[in-house]
Amino acid sequence: MGKIMKKLILILLALFLVKSPAFAAIDWESKGMQIAGEIIANPAGFFYDFQQDLEATTPLPPGKSFGIQTSLFPTTIPMTYTNASLKVRLHGEGRIAPGVPQLDLIGGYWDMLAAKMATKDSETVDSAKFGGYYAGAIMSTSVSPRVRTFWGYKRSVLKAKLDFKAGQEPEFLGTKVNSFDTGFKDDFFIAGIETPKGINKLWSIQLNYGLNTQTFSSKVSWYGKYFELGLNIFPEGVLVFHPVWNFHLNF
Amino acid sequence: MKKLLLSAFIAAGLAGRLCAASAEDSKIFTPFFDMTLSEAAFLPSEGNIFSGGNINTQVGLLSKITQKDQLFALYNFNYSGAGFAPQDSKQFTDRSMAHGFNLEYRRSVTDRIRVRPGVGFNRGYSRTGANEAWKNGLYNMNSAGGQLAADYIFDEGKNGYVTLQYLLRTVTFPNYTDLLREFQDPANRASVNGGLQDQTMGQVSLRPAWNKFFGGVTYTVQNYKNQKVVAASGVYGDTKQKDTDTMLDFGFHHRLWIFEMYPMVSYTMHESNQNFMKYKFLGDTAPEFAASYYNFKEMNLSVPVDLNITSKWAIGGAFSIQRRAYDKRYARNADNDFTTEKQVNTMTTLTGSIRKRINEVAMVRLFGSLIVANSNNKFEKYMPYNYTGNSFGLAYQLSY
Repeated sequence: MGKIMKKLILILLALFLVKSPAFAAIDWESKGMQIAGEIIANPAGFFYDFQQDLEATTPLPPGKSFGIQTSLFPTTIPMTYTNASLKVRLHGEGRIAPGVPQLDLIGGYWDMLAAKMATKDSETVDSAKFGGYYAGAIMSTSVSPRVRTFWGYKRSVLKAKLDFKAGQEPEFLGTKVNSFDTGFKDDFFIAGIETPKGINKLWSIQLNYGLNTQTFSSKVSWYGKYFELGLNIFPEGVLVFHPVWNFHLNF
Repeated sequence: MKKLLLSAFIAAGLAGRLCAASAEDSKIFTPFFDMTLSEAAFLPSEGNIFSGGNINTQVGLLSKITQKDQLFALYNFNYSGAGFAPQDSKQFTDRSMAHGFNLEYRRSVTDRIRVRPGVGFNRGYSRTGANEAWKNGLYNMNSAGGQLAADYIFDEGKNGYVTLQYLLRTVTFPNYTDLLREFQDPANRASVNGGLQDQTMGQVSLRPAWNKFFGGVTYTVQNYKNQKVVAASGVYGDTKQKDTDTMLDFGFHHRLWIFEMYPMVSYTMHESNQNFMKYKFLGDTAPEFAASYYNFKEMNLSVPVDLNITSKWAIGGAFSIQRRAYDKRYARNADNDFTTEKQVNTMTTLTGSIRKRINEVAMVRLFGSLIVANSNNKFEKYMPYNYTGNSFGLAYQLSY
């Protein structure tokens, strides 16, 4: 039955695409220009969306003391964000007293490899620095044997700086770009819920909301022992959907 | 205006949800969590493809203080993204975001009667396609106020109760400015920025529910603190603007064999003492006066049906229609002249979907919709009134 349903979904989706009378009218060129314009208007916001992809903002599985994570897609590949994240459990649920939630510390760091390479080899780029970090805490509590809710805080910081060599400045949308120096920092509130999907497989959905910049995202994730697959949605971002693939180990 | 009415109805709806959350006997604290998320691509017959989504997150905690006393705290985050919208409401690219905080005390007076006083605060942000910062939105809105509700439980077995609720909100629009007045008289800042949209909103509702049937009548009054009514002479008089809405609604959520139905119908009568001056172009020296321009009757009907093929998979179909007929507003022709017909807008949506239940608390839905918007108003320079569109996307829901 599952296979038949999946085929049906594909057929229906294909029909929607083919049957749509408006589909032929899509102006991809102007859409591309609009996207490029949005990146130029807020480059830090664009790069920060990828930082959110690598941020490990789900609680440690029950019984685990610490965990490490590195994000593979779309961060390391293709954005060259080399990154590492760490989770440490301060106390397990109900350990101190019945009903006291689990508390984890979370944090991570990333550095864009392409920026380093560009500075070293490029004839146009004079200096480049793209990187960021985050730190916070996640509190989780079981509301039934199969459901955990979690709440958290994170501080996220991003720095993006690029200088072009004199005389080598590129033109973008008719304007010469000499350099840009931008950044992003905000305090986020996190709320989510986690539920099992199978043996050692979990499913979660969460909201991350930046208190100062009103930046927000929804993360839908499926994770097992080694990998996490996710769909991060940035409704106000340049690229609304980010499919995510992360590797993690929990001990 | 539309936004405020929406918030009023959300307030009424929220009250229903608050009432629905109930404490488990064995627990002092019972959490409440509901998150829905949807994202879709929109292809209008006029204009380019765009994407938009909706996020609604409700997190709450019900605390049982004694057997008769409970405290319910709820935080609600709502984001409404770009998308097709009924005519005369918003541009496709307009977005809004709101944070709501509600605190409610519940006291069981007898086995059948419960009273629920409460307070609520709301902060709303708006944003247009120009992507201005959220804090600068013209229609950003803050509201604060209280409520008093009483429930009479008449059938415990089938969750039958009647709720009578009174709700009062003070609403401010800190960024609102009257662009027309600013253009006409740039030196007079007081009349431009003097809180013209600020108002108090009162709402009374009577809502019975039984065996998953629900309905009710909701009466809302908006009293503007500063906004005056424009007179036939074209200048603002001394009368302050006052709007009222009377809404009747009915719906149910039932299963019959493999069919799962949750239809809803509502009828709204909107009345405002505000009139309208039609400037055909900027600087028009002979604007046309239109009395009672904003009064309308609106009918909303939505009939969603899911066919539960297996315990996990369902195929869904939904039909919805919104029809708004203005009492005295005449439709305009393509040249922006009033015709002899009263304006009528309809928006019809047909949706097909596939739903997968991931487990007992989570589900995902893939959907595609066809939207047809019709109106006898043919002046579409600023807002589309007649168009067709397709949208397809996915939605997640997780609730506990």
